[in-house]
Amino acid sequence: MTKVTSLTIAVIACALFAGTAESQTLDARRLGMGGVVTSDVGDFSGSNIAFRAVPKGAGGTGSIPLPLGLIQYLSDHPVYDSKDSLFNIYKIANVLLNPPLTIQLVKPKEVSGDISIFIAQDSLKVDLADVKRVIPENSMKQGGVMHLFGIHRNFGKGFVQIGSLVHLRNELTLSNQLRDALRDAKPFTSNTRYGLTDEGRAQAAIAFQVGYAARALYRAPAKESSTDPRQNRATALYLGAAPKYLLGLAYGDARGEGGVTTGDTLFASSNPVTIDMDSQTRNSGIGGSGGLGSGIGSDLGAVLYWNNFELGLGLNDFGSQIKWNVTRRRHLYDDVTNQFTTAVVAKDEKYTSRIPVTTTINVAKRIGRTTLAADLVDGDLRTTMHAGAELWFGMWAVRSGIYRDQNQMAQFAGGGGYRFGKLGLDLAIATNSRNISRERGAELSASLSLY
Amino acid sequence: MRRLIPFALLLPLLAGCGNRNLILTVDILSFLNPSSKVVSYNIPVPAPSDTVEVFSDSLNLLQGVSDVTRAVAASMDIAASFDNTSGAATGSFLIYIASADSSSPFTTTPIANVPFTLLAGQVTNVSTHVDASASLAEALTHDKAQVGLRVIFNGTAFPIQGTETLTQLTATVIMKKDL
Repeated sequence: MTKVTSLTIAVIACALFAGTAESQTLDARRLGMGGVVTSDVGDFSGSNIAFRAVPKGAGGTGSIPLPLGLIQYLSDHPVYDSKDSLFNIYKIANVLLNPPLTIQLVKPKEVSGDISIFIAQDSLKVDLADVKRVIPENSMKQGGVMHLFGIHRNFGKGFVQIGSLVHLRNELTLSNQLRDALRDAKPFTSNTRYGLTDEGRAQAAIAFQVGYAARALYRAPAKESSTDPRQNRATALYLGAAPKYLLGLAYGDARGEGGVTTGDTLFASSNPVTIDMDSQTRNSGIGGSGGLGSGIGSDLGAVLYWNNFELGLGLNDFGSQIKWNVTRRRHLYDDVTNQFTTAVVAKDEKYTSRIPVTTTINVAKRIGRTTLAADLVDGDLRTTMHAGAELWFGMWAVRSGIYRDQNQMAQFAGGGGYRFGKLGLDLAIATNSRNISRERGAELSASLSLY
Repeated sequence: MRRLIPFALLLPLLAGCGNRNLILTVDILSFLNPSSKVVSYNIPVPAPSDTVEVFSDSLNLLQGVSDVTRAVAASMDIAASFDNTSGAATGSFLIYIASADSSSPFTTTPIANVPFTLLAGQVTNVSTHVDASASLAEALTHDKAQVGLRVIFNGTAFPIQGTETLTQLTATVIMKKDL
């Protein structure tokens, strides 16, 4: 496969997955602080709409990522040809989970190894070796809410914005028996059902948004040294709200379960297992049955400053929902006839989908040129926490942080930066578990900061 | 479709093997009827190359394996015990494996030929490991396979009487994914 094709796949992976809340942080300044968000660190994705009203501080106004990882990817990328002996689907999955925009310093151990299956008439044991690491103890969840490709224009304290919204979610759950058999290599037993359940949802919409963020309260300090409430000991409250109209482009969900049930003896007949599969789907979309959806939503935010202390609360996609006219189908497998049947259960059925709220709570304290910060981000599938610090020595900055990631693992970060007037160069090294086996790796991220 | 379904559960995992192997070990002995595992023999008078067809049976194997894999190697471990009460003989212990569509496993070439010597009043254990033919690999990766066991006696003292017990019959096939 050519490098151009491999690069194309990497770009697609970056476009699709780098924007999710729990994907890699490309702002090296933020990453060096453990991925924490404050009103002047790392909030360029808009986690709190009230931050728009806070005066620009010394902390920076934007970030330009330097995707150094693409160089590493071009020299060492997965094989995408399934006929190639080196084809490894787990390597490809890792590219999707961890887009190659940062340099991988410590890669998780490659998932490989021989799979062993032992069969006797009343015994079946499957040892997946390395692949066992892929199977989680609980369900496998993937997805997030992505706000992509938006354009906006400010009008004083207000703004208008048009952007796309994509919500993806998939949760695959193995039954305890199947998980034990695959993850722990426990022998399959007779008269036992080995099943799995999968729930998936995808929806896309265009959001037309009007917003307003302003200072609601300001009590000046005894001696006002600057207009920056982060540093001048003022008491200030900033509020923001941005209702949005959602034009639903497409919606689809599926919930299915299936399994195999063993008989009295595992391999006693030509059909040793009974198979069951049952799933229901709903869909609607532009150009198809049901057509476009229509809905409303909002982003809300507040941030309070007191004595150089910052407390923020951001609610994105609060109350967001889209009404659709869906077609509902049921897909059933009949073990006796060995046939799948699909039946339309309902057509143009009213259905309201919801966009999950992302809640961001952040706290920060500025002491001279030192910032201490922490946040909690609660999204559709997971809750993460970040904490970090930044110390400036002249033009040099030193940063460190810690966070609990989407796999509930503690991760560590550190980094530094140098400021050249309005521009700064930042580097960060951080650990993560963004890979299919959920093992700890480490990455080097680089970016430019705009001050 | 049906054949693929049970094994399809493992497909996403197997695809991750990369250049690694799927090692399929089948305890064929467990699939045999108890009467096939223990057989009495009785050859009262001299006869050239007297043959005892111990059994011929079919096995149900893992469904769908051959659809997603190709066999690259196969081997078999065989062991048997002869409790020879009278007479003496040399002979051959022959194992046949064939796919289910064969008319009889004995129409194929034996995948193992184990020589033995029997003496009166002695228990003789025989065992061997064979790196078998491609036909073994092919047969074992299909839904069903046929297996047969034949013993050929070249008697030197008669009557030859005793019991033959099959104690191990295990096949191992090494496969690579073929998606």
